[in-house]
Amino acid sequence: MLKAFYYLLLRDMRLALRSRHELANPLIFFVLVVSLFPLAVMPTPERLQEMAPGVIWVAALLSVLLSLDRLFKQDYEDGSLDQLMLSPNPLVVLVLAKVSAHWLLTGLPLVIIAPLLGVFMALETSSLSVLVWSLLLGTPVLSLVGAIGVSLTVAVNRGGVLLSLIVLPLYIPVLIFGANAIDVASDGMSVRGQLYFLGAMLALALSLAPLATAVALRITASR
Amino acid sequence: MWAWIQKFSSPKYFYGMSAKLIPWFALSALLIALYGLYLGFFVAPPDYQQGESYRIIFIHVPAAWMSMFVYVVMAVSAAIGLIWQIRLADVIAASSAPIGASFTFIALVTGSLWGKPMWGTYWVWDARLTSELILLFLYFGYMALQASIEDQRMADKASGLLAIVGVVNIPIIHYSVEWWNTLHQGATVTKFDKPSIHIDMLIPLLLMALAFKLFYLAMVLVRARNEALYRDRNRRWVRELVEKL
Amino acid sequence: MNKRSRRKMLVAMLVFGVGIATVLALTAFEENLLYFYSPTQIHAGEAPQNRTFRVGGLVVDGSVRREQGSLAVQFELTDNAEVVPVTFTGILPDLFREGQGIVAMGQIDSNGLFVADEVLAKHDENYMPPEVADALDAAHEAGKTGMPTTY
Repeated sequence: MLKAFYYLLLRDMRLALRSRHELANPLIFFVLVVSLFPLAVMPTPERLQEMAPGVIWVAALLSVLLSLDRLFKQDYEDGSLDQLMLSPNPLVVLVLAKVSAHWLLTGLPLVIIAPLLGVFMALETSSLSVLVWSLLLGTPVLSLVGAIGVSLTVAVNRGGVLLSLIVLPLYIPVLIFGANAIDVASDGMSVRGQLYFLGAMLALALSLAPLATAVALRITASR
Repeated sequence: MWAWIQKFSSPKYFYGMSAKLIPWFALSALLIALYGLYLGFFVAPPDYQQGESYRIIFIHVPAAWMSMFVYVVMAVSAAIGLIWQIRLADVIAASSAPIGASFTFIALVTGSLWGKPMWGTYWVWDARLTSELILLFLYFGYMALQASIEDQRMADKASGLLAIVGVVNIPIIHYSVEWWNTLHQGATVTKFDKPSIHIDMLIPLLLMALAFKLFYLAMVLVRARNEALYRDRNRRWVRELVEKL
Repeated sequence: MNKRSRRKMLVAMLVFGVGIATVLALTAFEENLLYFYSPTQIHAGEAPQNRTFRVGGLVVDGSVRREQGSLAVQFELTDNAEVVPVTFTGILPDLFREGQGIVAMGQIDSNGLFVADEVLAKHDENYMPPEVADALDAAHEAGKTGMPTTY
């Protein structure tokens, strides 16, 4: 079981690393969206600082959303998803492997580049670490919950808008607590409450979302 | 037991039975609503702080309760449809969604109309309002997914699973008032310690809640009846029904 | 590992994960998730300078002063420990009155005066006719609280 997890993770990573441009796209999108905001408003440091948590988090949300298609769509189209579902290993574990690969390839790069954007948005150095922590706890939830949405829409042609309609409402709690944590941190107050909450959501998503995704795949991807 | 369920959940039986039930539900909803509104608008005393404006609770609160209630009904019947493969449960779930979305919309609109004189603003981004808005989005997501999958069985199952996932949101809505200390007042009727609403105001409120429930029952039966007819349009019982006309 | 014990293990992991989530959520509730600052916190210097934030408290009895010929109004907010003076120009909500809980959004100036851009009234969850409220107040003073019906 662990072996299956490991090999599937490795396979997805290897496949993604072979098409590097596709890998870089969500990251470029993330940076691009964030840098649009200072151009759209008068970029005084105070105003940027006030907007920063929300802007960075919304951009991260959208960039994960756009990359979700990669999770199952290609495997569904070339038939390897059918193979996975026929395998004797529990589908939950395989789903978890695919989601982990997805996070390592899209979520983690976002977390790494986020401090740079924090500087763009005039965030103080002290709140940068909170920014990283909130994204580190929040982006895996985005991948996990997003997987449910993708698996539900995998058989729908042109399901892009539909996917965002389904997934974005489920993302809202993560957005609220993630952005709020940074906001509160720049006021110099304790953010432990928000971070605990993000942790709770991560634990909950980690235990329930793969199950829901597996059930959804059995419904929609069986031909 | 199983055979009994099979009989009552067959679309044919449901179609005949619901036709008899709908007038009763609709009529009693109408009468109770009229009486409840009369009590609420003319008999109940004005509030000690909010004067007459509070009377919107007789619409707002039942609608907000129904918005959550219908979502739970939808999720439960979707779960029944998923687990026991009862077609009628899927029909009920699919027919409930637009009604629930309407209740949510009414709750949001009346709430913001109430908020302007009382809080000083139409809209506050506090926990409860936000969760109600998310609930509306969840309804929209359900309906969109239901509509975009061609295969009816797959659409039912997939959107049903989405409804179950979304049900995680319902307790967050209900207890959000206590979680985030915000502008919205705490729960009035459903909190456990001493009551905080006067009995003359409580009675019309509960009557209105009952009327809303009966109205929902009538509406969901009307919708489910049409849906059942449409889905079975190629089956024999529908053809027999049409030939009888 | 056969299918059965594998399933048991998955269920155990699931229960474990949900348990962790519950513990973390409960820990989060212990922490303060702040929506507004109290006058005490402002006096202690915890509120941000040169930034918009919310302050919440009760309007001090007898502190409301309206300026003639304009919408400007001054009042004091208290949390029964400290007092913060607030100034606001605009139309106040119906529920604004002395002794009422409100939330104001704005900035604090160098003299310690809170300049509000927005004033929101926080109304309680009690609905009753005025006579009952009076009677309740009287009963409260006599040492009794509560109303007869339970629901």
